[in-house]
Amino acid sequence: MPLADARAVCPSLSTRPADLIREGRALEGLRRWASRYGPHAAKDGTDGLIVDVSGVPHLFGGEVELLADLEARLERAGVSSKSAIAETRGGAWALARRGGGVIPEGGLLSRLGPMPVSALRIEGPVAQGLIRLGLHKIVDLTAVPRAPLARRFGADLLRRLDQALGTQAEPVAAEVDAPHFGVRMTLPEPIGLTADVMGVLDRLLVRLCDKLTSAQMGARAVRLELQRVDRSAAVVDVGLARAMRDPVRISALFLKGVDEVDSGFGIDGLRLTATVTEPLAPEQIGNAQARAEDELSDLISRIGNRLGFDAVQRFLPASSRIPEHSFLTVPAAYAAPEPFPPKRRPRRPITLFPAETLAQVSGSPPARFSWRRMAFTTLRAHGPERITPEWWFDDPAWRSGVRDYWRIETNEGPRLWLFRTPQSGSRDWYAQGVFL
Amino acid sequence: MTAYAELCVTSNFTFLRGASHPEELVKRATELGLTAIAITDRNSVAGVVRAFSALKELARIAEEAGQGAALPRLIPGARLVLTDSKVEWVALPTDLAAWSRLTRLLSLGKRRAEKGSCHIGLADLEEWGRGMVLIALPPDPLDATSFERDLRRIAARFAGQCFLGAAPRYDGQDQERLDRLAEISQATGLPKVAVGDVLMHRSSRRPLADVLTCIREGCTIDSIGDRRLANGEHRLKSGEELARIFHRYPAALRRTVEIADRCAFRMDQLRYQYPDEARDGEPAPTRLERLAREGLHWRYPGGPPPKIVSRVEKELHLIAEVEYAPYFLTVYDIVSFARSKGILCQGRGSAANSVVCYLLGITEVPPESITLIFERFISKERGEPPDIDVDFEHERREEVIQWIYERYTRERAGLTAVVIHFRSRAAIREVGKVMGLSQDVIARLAGQIWGWSSTAPGDDRLREAGLSPEDNRVALAVKLIGEIIGFPRHLSQHVGGFVITQGRLDELCPIENAAMEDRTVIEWDKDDIDALGLLKVDILALGMLSAIRKAFGLIETHRQQQLTLANIPPEDGRVYDMLCKADAIGVFQVESRAQLNFLPRMKPRKFYDLVCEVAIVRPGPIQGGMVHPFINRRQGREKVEDLGPAMMEVLGRTYGVPLFQEQAMQIAVVAAGFTPAEADRLRRSLATFKRMGTIGGFRDRFVGGMLERGYDAEFAARCFAQIEGFGSYGFPESHAASFARLVYVSAWLKRHHQAIFTCALLNAQPMGFYAPAQLVRDARDHGVEVRPVSVNDSIWDCTIEPRADGSHALRLGFRQVKGMREEDAIWIKAARGNGYPDVESVWRRAGLRPDALDRLAEADGFAGLGLSRRDALWQVKALKAPKPLPLFGLDGEGEHEPLVDLPRMTLGQEVIEDYLALRLSLRAHPLEILRPNLPESLPAASILQAKGRIQLTGLVITRQRPGTASGVVFLTLEDETGTANVVVWKKVYEAFRAAVVAGRLLRVTGRIERDGQVTHLIAERIEDLSARLSTIGHQLRIGAETERAGETVRPTRTAGRARHPREQAKKLFPSRDFH
Repeated sequence: MPLADARAVCPSLSTRPADLIREGRALEGLRRWASRYGPHAAKDGTDGLIVDVSGVPHLFGGEVELLADLEARLERAGVSSKSAIAETRGGAWALARRGGGVIPEGGLLSRLGPMPVSALRIEGPVAQGLIRLGLHKIVDLTAVPRAPLARRFGADLLRRLDQALGTQAEPVAAEVDAPHFGVRMTLPEPIGLTADVMGVLDRLLVRLCDKLTSAQMGARAVRLELQRVDRSAAVVDVGLARAMRDPVRISALFLKGVDEVDSGFGIDGLRLTATVTEPLAPEQIGNAQARAEDELSDLISRIGNRLGFDAVQRFLPASSRIPEHSFLTVPAAYAAPEPFPPKRRPRRPITLFPAETLAQVSGSPPARFSWRRMAFTTLRAHGPERITPEWWFDDPAWRSGVRDYWRIETNEGPRLWLFRTPQSGSRDWYAQGVFL
Repeated sequence: MTAYAELCVTSNFTFLRGASHPEELVKRATELGLTAIAITDRNSVAGVVRAFSALKELARIAEEAGQGAALPRLIPGARLVLTDSKVEWVALPTDLAAWSRLTRLLSLGKRRAEKGSCHIGLADLEEWGRGMVLIALPPDPLDATSFERDLRRIAARFAGQCFLGAAPRYDGQDQERLDRLAEISQATGLPKVAVGDVLMHRSSRRPLADVLTCIREGCTIDSIGDRRLANGEHRLKSGEELARIFHRYPAALRRTVEIADRCAFRMDQLRYQYPDEARDGEPAPTRLERLAREGLHWRYPGGPPPKIVSRVEKELHLIAEVEYAPYFLTVYDIVSFARSKGILCQGRGSAANSVVCYLLGITEVPPESITLIFERFISKERGEPPDIDVDFEHERREEVIQWIYERYTRERAGLTAVVIHFRSRAAIREVGKVMGLSQDVIARLAGQIWGWSSTAPGDDRLREAGLSPEDNRVALAVKLIGEIIGFPRHLSQHVGGFVITQGRLDELCPIENAAMEDRTVIEWDKDDIDALGLLKVDILALGMLSAIRKAFGLIETHRQQQLTLANIPPEDGRVYDMLCKADAIGVFQVESRAQLNFLPRMKPRKFYDLVCEVAIVRPGPIQGGMVHPFINRRQGREKVEDLGPAMMEVLGRTYGVPLFQEQAMQIAVVAAGFTPAEADRLRRSLATFKRMGTIGGFRDRFVGGMLERGYDAEFAARCFAQIEGFGSYGFPESHAASFARLVYVSAWLKRHHQAIFTCALLNAQPMGFYAPAQLVRDARDHGVEVRPVSVNDSIWDCTIEPRADGSHALRLGFRQVKGMREEDAIWIKAARGNGYPDVESVWRRAGLRPDALDRLAEADGFAGLGLSRRDALWQVKALKAPKPLPLFGLDGEGEHEPLVDLPRMTLGQEVIEDYLALRLSLRAHPLEILRPNLPESLPAASILQAKGRIQLTGLVITRQRPGTASGVVFLTLEDETGTANVVVWKKVYEAFRAAVVAGRLLRVTGRIERDGQVTHLIAERIEDLSARLSTIGHQLRIGAETERAGETVRPTRTAGRARHPREQAKKLFPSRDFH
């Protein structure tokens, strides 16, 4: 149903876009949690989990109790769920999606039989084809000779049927955990000197970077936890302008933070984790261009770690006829540089600033005016360049309507970019930029 | 005032670029007092005739107002965009010969390229550019000098004709640019001339220009960036403004006027010669006369009545005088060609007023049966050609078209164009996309539009679509939608209007390729051709003629009776009896809702009644409020008022009520004091008047004239309203008579050969008003046995099978099966032999692919083999390979499969499957199955006796909202007992809009209203029960799993999107919607 139709049916409908990545992450989290009910836990599609609970239920007091425990815990965590236990994976899949519960041993056929064939994990067209032939329920299928059925709908249908009814095995494979990028070191004697801490840090960094290398990842943020002997801890966070795993360069960024830490009675444990990582392919060393980029990103990292990464910005081109919208400023650490397309006209000043009103203007274009308390006389005037506001976008700065821009060369030296707004009826002139 | 001529104007006939209509540009140029305005579209002259007509109209108004106001001169031209040069050239022909060269150049480029583009190179310009003023528009910025070579090359070839165009751009560098252009001008020797490079008539069109850019570039307004116009200076400007910019170059401005003076070519110089149509040394007039005399013999074997003879003499004399004999002969030749190929055809249009056309066999209406108005045929003073439209069978018209191309060659014959305009739906879709409205909102807004509406959506529509009209963006979008409606979008081909010339057609106007293979089209549409006085032969397609020809063929095979349009027994009382009962489903024209209502009131008893019937249910007479007086007077409930002898001569035969186009025109002459020429011009130029908004003057004159002569003011207003309506939708009497002829023929066929008639209609689909389901149902109601599609009996077309009792049964053909291909049907027939014993044999012998077999099985085509639908499907499913393997049997082994017992289908399921595969069911009506759940609804058949408020449930088979009925919607509901007419008044419609527009199964509560034999249900409450249709399939299935409704009924092949029950119902039970 299209959204507009749904809105028409229920005007107060609230909608949110699906975030598949976060949902996937949440399911992964649940999977790890679900391994408390059995070592073999796996994700099943985008909305399901499967756990092999063979030999487990008696620990919870029985299958029904296990399900109750599971559902209660999930409910407490705010997750609404349906769950089922059956002899076969296919049986549990079908039941969990049609009410949930427990199928006792030997009850598979009687429980699954009345379900529609689509409960068999078969493809849509196959299910449709079966329904067209009047084979609506799973029990209908069991009555049909197998060879003609396989001939028409393929072996997959029979495999799914057998898996559901337990004539064919279907094991659950446990999933591998994601690698963890963290290392630690406990010291026999507490240390307190910056140089000592840095020494330990360097050894930790080598280990961390080895881990990153083997996983082909690079760190974007690294956290150092320093545990003091009195059980208190200090934390030093470092951000990186781009993903890297070079111990020397990361170490340099920690120096200032470590220096500021109060070691108290001494530090006897260090833990180093890469909190944010990004894929980073192996690199050729000694590449001159890469080195130049490294230097720039080191600079951005260094400044960013002091001022905050949002404060280090770079210009990117934007496409607009409005002068102040023809470029963007974005945090340098989060955007790749882009070249400005070569464009010769219309000419734009090298510095742009918000419009400033001129005083003591005479003539149009002004022959004499004062700007920032300086008096100017015009030598040459070029123009007008007429720019209209973007009609679809209400920009407060452009409410005065059309602007006629002039390039004014002054006798005093500066070349200024002036404009007036003929539509507003005002006779004011404004300065908005300076040419080199 | 500075004299200035604007030489470079892009109108909106440069599609998706220009932002103003040619009419607006010309009007604005007049206001600004320009000396001349050139319309120069990109590689096209499509807009110049519009500008030409607009200027003529402005001149007329100025003349009427008594001012000799100076109007700008129009310079037709084109802006040539070359494939191999960056310089664009504005080409302005100085005389007729240069115009011909320009159109040939454009034709050359267009014939080379695919539809809509034009490939011209510098070499072509060199070859064809003689006699034109060529203004070079160099690319911007001017830094590069490479283009100077192109300038020199053309300037060397056409010395003294070339100029350098200088267009200010308001980008702060105009003075530098003008200086640089002056240098180039010095260096190349091309004199500089000022041009405006105009895109719009006022700067307020800038938003629209940006939207057009977005549509062209396929971006949204938010991503348009610097492709937008920086300012609105590409507008039409006055001489003063240009003078200010060009103050250092006054010569550039002066030169515009000089160039304008040089361009002496005017559109009205376009004269063309019609083909002379001499044959074997016999000149056209002699040949026409001979043929007419021959016609007198075969049309009137017993000798022609003297009135006819004298009329023929008079006509021939006039034809000879105005030299239109070749035109008649062209039509005669086309019609004779069609006859020789057995293609049915019939002429209509104003020339059907002529006895000569009847004698030539172009028209079939005996001249005695209607009033012939000589002036309407051709008039000397009007100097305008008659127009003859000829209808051909729609399936075989292409043969006629190709014959015309062959006979006159593509240089001499071309189809006229049709300008496709933005209408509401397209406007909403395109502008909505540009303005960033979401896809589903756009679909919803566009889905609400009924038919060919031409207005922007109102506030309540927006709210329904979930938009807030107060929102700035939405308000802008709505404004722009309103503005873009009426803009030309592209050129398409006219349905069949041919322009034929003696000389080369491409010297008159550019010819381009049409989207359809083997068609070529000129750039002008029929209004343009009219304005220029070119002759056009309309080769139109009519589905009913195909159906009639097929019926004649079937009658000949099965009844050994040779029928033609001419020898159908006339004035058969039984046919009129049938029509009086409004039993007319399938009958030409009168099968529509309004006509069916009207028939019992009209009670036609003779041919002329049918003529009136056809003419009256048209927008013209309805808008003019002529229907009720006519009916009342015919039924004797009202006296025919005496309007004086002059008027009674005009209106006497229609009870004093004007019904036909020519009557309205005659009133203008007789009662309002127009000259005949004026009256006709009024009608002909109604389209232009509406565009220019100048209709008011005519109205005052018309009404004033009638009041002066002592007529009722209200009557006068009504007459004028009717003329307005006639402008686009009126029928002349002769035209109505031609149609009435087909009404009679089809009614006769229906009355006497119902089975054959229905069979022919089904084979001629798509056509007419009703879907096959209704036609089949109507046939069964008339006692015709309809047999299902069967692999052993059917062929592609529906066929007639004899029955034991001597009557005929109708066998449905494979064409009714959805998704079936004609080729497969031919193979089934060819390999049938003594019949197919099983599914596999069809696969082996006819070589059908399994998917085609699947469709056949779904349509229950194997029932004749004793296989139920499911059994057949089961067998088809086993066939996987597209072709049988040559050596092996069933998969090489296991010859005998174990038998499988599949569950039987319920009746409901069968019906649903029938509708899915065939769009009709011979088993039962869906309502029959739903009936037990609708205890409170009356069957449709019983509403004839019902009184007061009732409830009715039925499938919507047609819905109509006539433009003339002020928002009233007519629905036809069908259930298993019959059909019922529902009237939805505007207020009810607004309340239940969604149900009325989109519902397939409706429950209507309302009052019964009767007028004579006609019963309506006036709706008060409407419910959409479409969702129930999808439940029919498992009405009787017990203990079924409750699944999503969409899954249980197998969706159609394009499933996936149509999961909602209502969507599904739409696919299952389509209705035919008319506006």
